[in-house]
Order: sequence, then structure tokens, then C-alpha cells
Amino acid sequence: MKRAVLSIVALSLGLSACGGGSSGGDSVAAEQGAVGNPAPTGTPTTCGVNCFLSPADVETILAQAVTEAEARNIGATIAVVDRVGNVLGVFQSTGADSFVTVTSTAELGSPVVGGLESLNFIPAPLAAISKAITGAYLSTAENAFTTRTASQIVQENFNPGERNVPSGPLFGVQFSQLACSDFSQRFQGGANSTVGPHRSPLGLSADSGGLPLYINGVNVGGVGVIADGIYGLDKVVTDFDQSVDELIATAATVGYAAPTNIRADRITIVGKTARFSDARVSDLESNPSSADTLATIQTAGRGSYVPVTAYYDGAGARTGTTFGQANSGIRPADSAVFVDSAGQSLDAFVFVDQTNQNRYPARAGLDTPGGVAANALTAEEVQTILNEAIGVANQSRAQIRVPAGTQARVTVSIVDSNGNILAMGRTRDGPVFGADVSLQKARTATFFSGTGRPVGEAPADILRGFPDPLYLAPMTLPIDLANLATLTDPAPTFGRYVLDTQLFFGNGDALESTGSSVAFADRSGGNISRPNYPDGPESGRPGPLSKPPGEWSVFSVGLQLDLFYNSLVHHIAHILGNVPDVPQNCTGNTGFAVTNPFTIQNSVTNLANGIQIFPGSVPIYRGGTLIGGIGVSGDGVDQDDMISFLGLHRAGLRLGTVNNAPPEIRADTLAIPGEESRLRYVNCPQVPFIGSNETEVCNGI
Amino acid sequence: MVFSRTAPLLAILCLTSFSAVQADEGIRPASGYCVEDPKNTEQRRRPGYPVDEYQLPECEAEFDDGRIPTWTSPFDLGPMVPDRWRIVNTIGINQNLWDPYNTQNVLKGDVPAWGKDWFYSIIAISDTIIEPRRFPIPVGIATTSRSGALDTIGGGETTILVQNLILENVVYKGNTTFKPPDWEVRFTPVFQINQVHADEKGILKVDPDKGGSSGRKRRDTFMGVQALFVDKHLRNVGDRYDFDSVRVGIQPFSSDFRGFLFQDAQFGVRLFGNRDNNIFQYNLAWFQRVEKDINSGLNDVTVDLRDDHVFAANVYWQDFPRIGFFSQGTVIHNSNREKGQFLFDKNGFIQRPASLFEEQSRNYEVTYFGYSGDGHFDRVNLTTSFYYAYGHQSSSRISGTEEDISAFFFAAEASMDFDWFRPRISALWSSGDDDPFDDEANGFDAIFENPQFAGADTSFVIRQNVPLIGGGGVALMGRNGIIPSLRPSKEQGQSNFINPGIQMIGVGADADLLPELRLSLNWNYFRFDKTEVLEALRQQGPIAKEFGHDVSLSLIYRPFMSQNIVVRLSAAGLLAEDGFDDLYGNEADTPYSVLANITLMY
Repeated sequence: MKRAVLSIVALSLGLSACGGGSSGGDSVAAEQGAVGNPAPTGTPTTCGVNCFLSPADVETILAQAVTEAEARNIGATIAVVDRVGNVLGVFQSTGADSFVTVTSTAELGSPVVGGLESLNFIPAPLAAISKAITGAYLSTAENAFTTRTASQIVQENFNPGERNVPSGPLFGVQFSQLACSDFSQRFQGGANSTVGPHRSPLGLSADSGGLPLYINGVNVGGVGVIADGIYGLDKVVTDFDQSVDELIATAATVGYAAPTNIRADRITIVGKTARFSDARVSDLESNPSSADTLATIQTAGRGSYVPVTAYYDGAGARTGTTFGQANSGIRPADSAVFVDSAGQSLDAFVFVDQTNQNRYPARAGLDTPGGVAANALTAEEVQTILNEAIGVANQSRAQIRVPAGTQARVTVSIVDSNGNILAMGRTRDGPVFGADVSLQKARTATFFSGTGRPVGEAPADILRGFPDPLYLAPMTLPIDLANLATLTDPAPTFGRYVLDTQLFFGNGDALESTGSSVAFADRSGGNISRPNYPDGPESGRPGPLSKPPGEWSVFSVGLQLDLFYNSLVHHIAHILGNVPDVPQNCTGNTGFAVTNPFTIQNSVTNLANGIQIFPGSVPIYRGGTLIGGIGVSGDGVDQDDMISFLGLHRAGLRLGTVNNAPPEIRADTLAIPGEESRLRYVNCPQVPFIGSNETEVCNGI
Repeated sequence: MVFSRTAPLLAILCLTSFSAVQADEGIRPASGYCVEDPKNTEQRRRPGYPVDEYQLPECEAEFDDGRIPTWTSPFDLGPMVPDRWRIVNTIGINQNLWDPYNTQNVLKGDVPAWGKDWFYSIIAISDTIIEPRRFPIPVGIATTSRSGALDTIGGGETTILVQNLILENVVYKGNTTFKPPDWEVRFTPVFQINQVHADEKGILKVDPDKGGSSGRKRRDTFMGVQALFVDKHLRNVGDRYDFDSVRVGIQPFSSDFRGFLFQDAQFGVRLFGNRDNNIFQYNLAWFQRVEKDINSGLNDVTVDLRDDHVFAANVYWQDFPRIGFFSQGTVIHNSNREKGQFLFDKNGFIQRPASLFEEQSRNYEVTYFGYSGDGHFDRVNLTTSFYYAYGHQSSSRISGTEEDISAFFFAAEASMDFDWFRPRISALWSSGDDDPFDDEANGFDAIFENPQFAGADTSFVIRQNVPLIGGGGVALMGRNGIIPSLRPSKEQGQSNFINPGIQMIGVGADADLLPELRLSLNWNYFRFDKTEVLEALRQQGPIAKEFGHDVSLSLIYRPFMSQNIVVRLSAAGLLAEDGFDDLYGNEADTPYSVLANITLMY
């Protein structure tokens, strides 16, 4: 043990060039120069384009946080992760809470019952890790977002507090990177960081106090802090908070802070500035640059590393990966395969495993759409769709990046009609969260477009086959698995979601094998997953996949959460006790059932990493037959929509064999009983392309 | 997106009522009349002359021997009448309440309503507007009016129908024509029905399902109070009725000749008067602004006043620097304390704070220093305004800090009359902000503009509030506004000093084709002063400055050559340039604005 610590110190000395000095205005493209580079085998000589967090960096960051927490007389749990979610250190200072409470109403509103609301037995490190991952995953070389940004864009109105307007653009993103995801990587044990992107224990976080970390303008990870005991969100964005979590996290980032010119507050989303942080260095009560070293803090017994089951072994600071190089799990794609129609390289990237093999090279569909095996997508079709989508992204101006007019950066996922991953690829420097989310989106669109599929494969059949979610009650103290109890009310069932949907559409065949196919883009499914229909006005009734007032919150959104709720409980039980970890599929978990708890029944690939309810995907058709879906995530939702829709369209023009859903079966043709409002299919941005005034790029397709 | 309207009635009201002080025509002494008995006549008075001088000569008085006497025919003054107002009754002209012209009408202030010198006058105006128009509007984020709408910019046809009934009631005490009234009370309620129809949902009300035609129609009625004041003539300060008056209540006010900065009917107290035979006129005023109704643009007196105060001081100098030219110097301070407020309009859209950038309402203190002139130099007519705005506002980004405001505005219009033809040239420059993220706000914004300039409401750019799609819930320019101030609405939004600014040059002409018919033509070219603000809001770059050519034509038909029946028909089109295309794409149908307006006045 002692040897290990020594060797880490030695390594950190060698890497000290990486630390500090990042608060300037650089915004070096993170993956620039990564093309063709092998994974680093030794110590980088300069930080430039090969930046990563060294153990010394991690210790500096942790020590600065602890010093600020001590100055505020509060115990804190601090996590540092790299850009692909490797946990590089979790540290608790004296007095830190062991557990935190999830609530959306700590500051405003009456308590909400159900979902994750009021759960008080969440180990604090899970909150800290989730916050750190959020800061890392939402940020890139051209945008620095935080958990405060996330809070702003996941609520029922955008901006929160602007009543009656539609929901945040990333409504639902908090339930991605799930612990049960089949895509996300897991902690492998051992001393080294491993390929990502990794899962996040609580999904993405909206609780302020999760910030990205930068070295020389390159996003190298994130830091998350929880000290106030509340895992919540900010419902009032018109004031300036003094969030202790955020203040401590701000101290942590000194020397590693995001360049000011790429921060969220320089980026607008439909004209509204994104929020970066309410805390400023001048608000700090300590001087981070003169903080004690972490060794001093540990020696004095003022805090210690804490192991976190399934995430971190507690054995000191680790070395982060270099983003865009193979050890991060994301590296340049084969430039002969990822090409545009003219054969030019798309500058694409792929996800690789520990052996540097592309995890998701294009392959043919495993399904038999319409009962005909030949209907399945071919590998060539898959690659063409993927390439065309990446091409659209490269052509489009970004919504969430600076400088204005830069390219959109995303991840693209393609699945077959059963949700099997047929290919994944990404542009340079797309935010990491978009990987898991794009897959969720592709699967969601495909799944809900499956009305009329054979018995057992139709969405209603699949949903009704899942064990229903068993909501947990707040635990009576002490925190002990033996004190775990379920709520009797509310007690949602998947059958009820199916029925509510059918009632909503006035069609008993909706989602059933007996119905006729309706194409649901993720935007359409999102429309019925909002707490009000139509999205925005408070007077609207809850969407059939959402929840009524008193039960709905960001932590209790309806079907999206309920699908994996039992798996999440399973994962927390694993961390709290000795239950084996949750399998890599979010569906079919019995949860905290009286009989056969935490066992898998009727799990399916279709929704293996959960569903996503904000826009950015369309189903893929061959003629009128559903054969799969394409999901896009990483930029503005309109851009995500357009990239999926136009990418598929252009591939169809090239191939002549695949197409978007015929317009007459799209969800925006549905007349909804008792409603004036119809669903949207996709919404492409105005004037979307770089260097062009072309508009109305999607109408008529 | 807010579709509201401020009817031209505001302009009408202002024009009819903004006569703080007006130059009177000199009255020549009558000649050729005499009286039988000078002791029976009332004394006539004229400033600067002894009363005696003004007596009519006695009839058949002394003759000079050698001269032929002036022919004077004695005539009978008739029986005594109660007062001068009823003289015409004796020759058979009697009151007809329906006829505002040809009779002595107690409803039109022709004869006293009470006592000897209390008059009542009503001006009733019917103002009808039919306004089809087209410009880009967004498809609803969450729902559309039709299937297959896959893009952000939707069909842009909207039609506005408005019917106003304006009842201007005036009660005053005084000696009428030559002398300002001693007291004046004015009450002007305006009753309005308005209806808007749009191609898309979610435009007219925040709830896309509200209103008729599946949320694509909105009908509203409102009664606004555009004047409610008491005016006390404090004193005369000379023989020529130079005076001081004070006026308390909702009253019209215009900061300058063309309504660039603050032209509105607002609640306040105004001390005004003139000096030196009306060579100098002054105003000292305080206003606390009344909340507006968003759909009618009228004053809503049922809610609290805004936390917005305007302090104005100005001096007009007639015939300076040349005869025929008015100069005016002004200092106006606008103190807005609406930080922290949340205000949603009756359609459910947020007005304060504006839904852009940090979406935080601000306090601001801004002082406008201005010079305006209006008149002619020889044959050249000239009107001009220059303002410099200086002040500070609370920062939306950093708690407890402030940003400096420093901005300017310039406008000028020159014209010359050639018989029935008057060509005009005009130019305008409203400064823009070049960095929305620094701690300076350099975009000029008015308090409440109502520019009578460059074609005014016949111009597309001035008339129409084109929404900044994808750039916040704001319009580029306000309705009847020329400054691209990016407010949610001119009526209810706060001033916004972080805006792109605009430059305009234009030529135009007024042609009096017939005594009853005027044709006006305007060509105005607009370009943004700075586009960094738009680039930041749209997350798009670069955006070109060139906005477009605004070409308009209007006909004004006044069948009786009076204001009693006025029919206006105008049409304007915007020939878009790159800046417009960058914002709305190059496939948009040509934006246009048609305005048919019938005004009937009693």
C-alpha cells in the first residue's frame, strides 16, 4: 500500500506540467492532434493536446475543495473524474454526510411523492460522482457546462420559472448514463483508468456543484461536491445562489477552471444564456492557491479517500485518460470507412474497448422486420446512414458551442427494430453524454414506432411484461438495507401507462400488435412525456407517459424513470450491501420485491439503456416497414433532430432502399381526441447550415 | 412573440392634444364699423395696446368739413343676448347636437355648458384598422397547426382587425380663443375590439390551444384611459398671456417633435408654460408610467403603476437659430426599478424580465441629453433629433454589479416643397452594442418611441414587430418602433440597451395629387449598426449587417379636406438583404405590411 502511494507521488511529479494555468482563454480542440496518435505510453512532455489529469492534479483539486469546506465549517464529499467518467478520487472531509436526500423541493414547492423524491439513503459519494460526471460529460473544448446548466435545461419550463412555456431542451437527460446501461462502461478494479464512457450512479445531476475541469483549454474531467446533504436542483434562475456545493467546487477548480470564453454564460439557447455557476472565486472563504496539500490534510486526519463500491477503490488519486486517444475509449475512426459521398474523410471518431477495437462497427440488423429477414438493415446501409448523419453534423452550425458558427458535434447511434446496436460513431469533440443518450433516443423512437409489430414485440406487450416499479419510501434511520420499505402510493404500473396512452389517443390499438404503425420520433414521444399536454401551459393535463401534479418532478418523470427504477434501486442496494451489481440491461428488474427481489424477468434489448424523452431521433423505414432507428445527441435538440432526419434522408437518396417514415404515418398526423394540439415529428433549426442561408431544410421530406 | 398593436390613435391623440403652447395668429383690428353708443359696448382688449384705442368709433360723430365722411350705416345691435356665444341664435342659427359645424353646439364647446365660461367638448373618433401582413413567425415548439411542419419557421401570414372608439371629453373654464383656459379637465377613454389571426399556433397566446381556430385566432376587448387629467392655469406672466400651467394626471407628452424618445400618454405632473411672447416654451415633468394592455396598447388603469419614473425638462426656443425654426434642448431621466419583477402579459408571455440572455429584470438609471429642431431654413424644411444616453443598469450576470450605459441616437429629415410636391431625405442612426458580454451597454433604446418618421406606420420595419425567431421571446423592432431594441414588447418590456442598433437612410416624397388626396412614397434602407448581439442570441455567426430595403406607398384621402373623415391605405414590402436572410433564411416570402385605416371624427 505504501509503495503504491509513493509511486503515485513520483508519477505526479512527472506530470506536474499538466496542472494549472488553464483559466485563460484557450479553447484547443480536445481531439485535435489526436488523429493517428497511439495511446500515450509514457509521460507527456507538454500538456497541449495530450492533457489528462495526473494524480497530483487530482490531489490539488481535492485539497482546494477540502480547504474551502473547512473554511465554511462544513464536511464535504468530493469526487474527481476524467472526461470519460473514470473516478480518479473520492474524498470526504471531516464531518461529511454519509448520505444525501433527493428532493426537488428543498427551496421551493410542496413535497412530491414517488420516484426518487425524498429518498434519504443515497450514499453521498454517488451524488458527488454523478455531479462530477455531469460537469465532465456536458462539456467540451467549445462549451463548458455544469450541473447548474443541467438544472436549467431539464425542468418543465425553459427557463425554469417562465411559466407556461415549453420544457427545457434536455428534458429527461438526467436519466442517462444509467448504472444499468448496456453501453456505459464499468469500473474494472485495478490501478488504472479504463476505457469509457463510464456509467454514472445517479444519472446526470442537476444539483449545483458539479463543474468541468480544464487544462490548457482542454476538458479533462469534472469535479463534483456535495456538502449540503440535498441532491436537488435550482428552480429559480432569476437570482444568484450561494450554493455551498458550488462554492466548494469552485475552489476545487482554481487552476483547472473552464476558460471564461467557452462557459455556459457565453452560450445562448433560443436567446437565453445558459448558466455556468453562481459562485465566483471572489466569493470563496479560503485561498485555494495556498491550500494545504492533500497529504497534510490526510495526515492531520481532516479527511480521507473513501472507496465506493463499483466506482472507486479508495486507494488514492488515479491518472485520468487522455480524451480522444484509445485509452479513453474514444478514438479516431477509420478514415477510409467514415467518408462522405465523395470519399472524403468525415473526421469521425468511434468507441473502442480496452483492446482498441471498435465496439460498434456497422453490422446488419439482427431482426426480421415485417417477418422478412431480408428487410433487416444491411451493414452497408448502416454505415451509409451513419456517415450521412455525421456529414450533416459537420455541415451544421452548433447551438451550444462557441464561437458562434462552429460545427455541431454529436454522437450517432443506429439500432435495429429490436434495439440491437448496429453502429455508433461520433464527430470530433462531441460531448460525452451524447453517446449513451443517442442510443437511448434511437431505441426510444424505434420502440414507440412499433405498434403493429407481432405479438410479443409490440410496445404494449413488452411494457406489460416488465415487473412494475416498486417505489421506495424514505428510510427510517439508521440507514440500513434492513430498513428498506416500499411506498404503497403512488404505485405506477406499466399496464397503466399503456392504457393511458391508448386513452389519450382514443385508440385501443395504440402500441398493440393489433394497431397500425405510427412513426414516433423522439420529439413526438417527448410530447406525451411532459407533465402538461401540450408542453408548457400549466392548464394542460399530464401527458400519458408523465405524472400528475404532486407526483411529477425532475426526480419522478413517469415512464422514463419507472422503466429503470427497480434497476437503480438494485444498484444502490449493491453499493449499500452485498447484492450483486445490476446487470447491463435496465429493463425487467423486479426491484425490491418481496419475492425474488432484484431478479430479471422479461428483460429486452429494445430499451436496454432506458428511454430518452427529448428530441433527436427518428425511426428508419424500408418503404412502410419499420427496420430500426437513428439517434443523435450532443448539440441543440433541433440540430439533433435535423441530423437524424436529414442524415437518414440523404442516406436514402444514396441507397434508394431506406427512408424516413412515410409522412402519412408520422405521429404529427394523429388527431388527438379533445385536444387542439398535435404532436411534432421533428423540428429542424432555422438557417441551420454553416455559410448558407438555406432554410426549411426538412419541410416536404 | 407578441402581437400587439399601438393604434395610430395614439399619434392622433398626441397630435390633437399636444398643444402645450401654440402660437396664435395675430388678430387684426376690425375697421369700418361703428357703434351708436360707445358706452354700451364691452371693452376689447389686445396685449400691448391701451383699451381705449380699440373702441369702435361712434356713428355719425363729428365730421371733418372738407372730407367725405366714411360711409357708415347705422345698424341695430338687436336685443341684448346673455353672452357673445348666443349671438348667432338671434339670426336663426340654433343648436343641433348632431351637427358639429354649422350650429352653436354645446357638445363642441361653442357655447358654455354651465355658467358663463364653463365649456364642454367631446371629440368622438372611430378608428378602424385592417392590417394584413406577412413576415416570418415560428412554428410552435411543442405543437403545430398542421402536420408536416418540420422546420422552425412557419407560415407568416397574420391579419389584424381593430376597431377603436375614442371619446375625448374636455371640460374647461375660460374665456376661450385668445386666452388659455383657467381650468381644464380631460377624460379620454378608448374602447377597442381587436382580433388577430395567424397561420401558426402558440403565437397569439402562450397556450397554443387558447383562442379560436385552434389557437390561431385571438379576439380581445379593452377599455384604456388615454387621458385623465386636470389642468390648472396658474398665472399669466405678461400681457400676451404668457403663462404657467400645471397638469396632473394621465396626459400626452412628447419628448421631441417626432416622438423618438418618449411619446405617450402617461400619468404624471407637468408644469409648463411660455415666456417672451411665446418665444420660449418649457416643460418640467414627472411621470410614473402606467402599465399597458398588451393587445390594445392602451393604458391599463386597473393595475398598479410601473416602478418606472420619467423626469423631463425641456425648453423650446422659437425662431432660433433662424426665423421659422424651433430648437429644443431636453434632459430626460428614466429611473426603472423593476429588478426582480416577473410580469406575464394577458396572453401568458413573459414581459419582464425579457426572455433573452440571462432573463433577469434589471434596474436602470439612464439620462438622455437631447437636442431637437424642427422648422425650415429658407425653403428647406428640416427636422432633427440627437440624443445621448448615459447611465447604468444592474448586471444580469454578476450579482451586485452594474453595467455602464452609453449610447446615442441621431435622426434628421430634410424636405422642400415644390408646389404640390414635397421630396424628402432622411437618415437615422441608433447605436448598437458590440459585445453583449462586456460590462458596457452601448445600444440606444427609447423610453417609449412612436416615431413619426420615414413613413412611420406605413413603413414595414417601423410598423411590424418581426420576432427574433430562435433568439429569445422578443421582437427585432417594436410595433411602431424603429429601434431594434429586442424587447418582448414596446408596451410592457423594459428598455434594452444591449441591442444591435440600426442605421437608416431614406428618400421619399409627398404629393398632393388633389386637395383631398395625398400620395406618399418612401424608400428606406436599413442596416444594423452592430450584429454581435444578434450573433450571440442566435448562436450564429456571422450575421450580416444589411437588413433590407423598405419600400412603401400610402394614400391619404380626406374627402372634406379636414380630419373628420380620413381614409388611409398603405402598403409596404421589405426587400431583404443578407442580414435578414441570415436570420430568417433566403426562402422567406417577401415580407409585407398593408394598412387600411378609416378615421371618422365627430
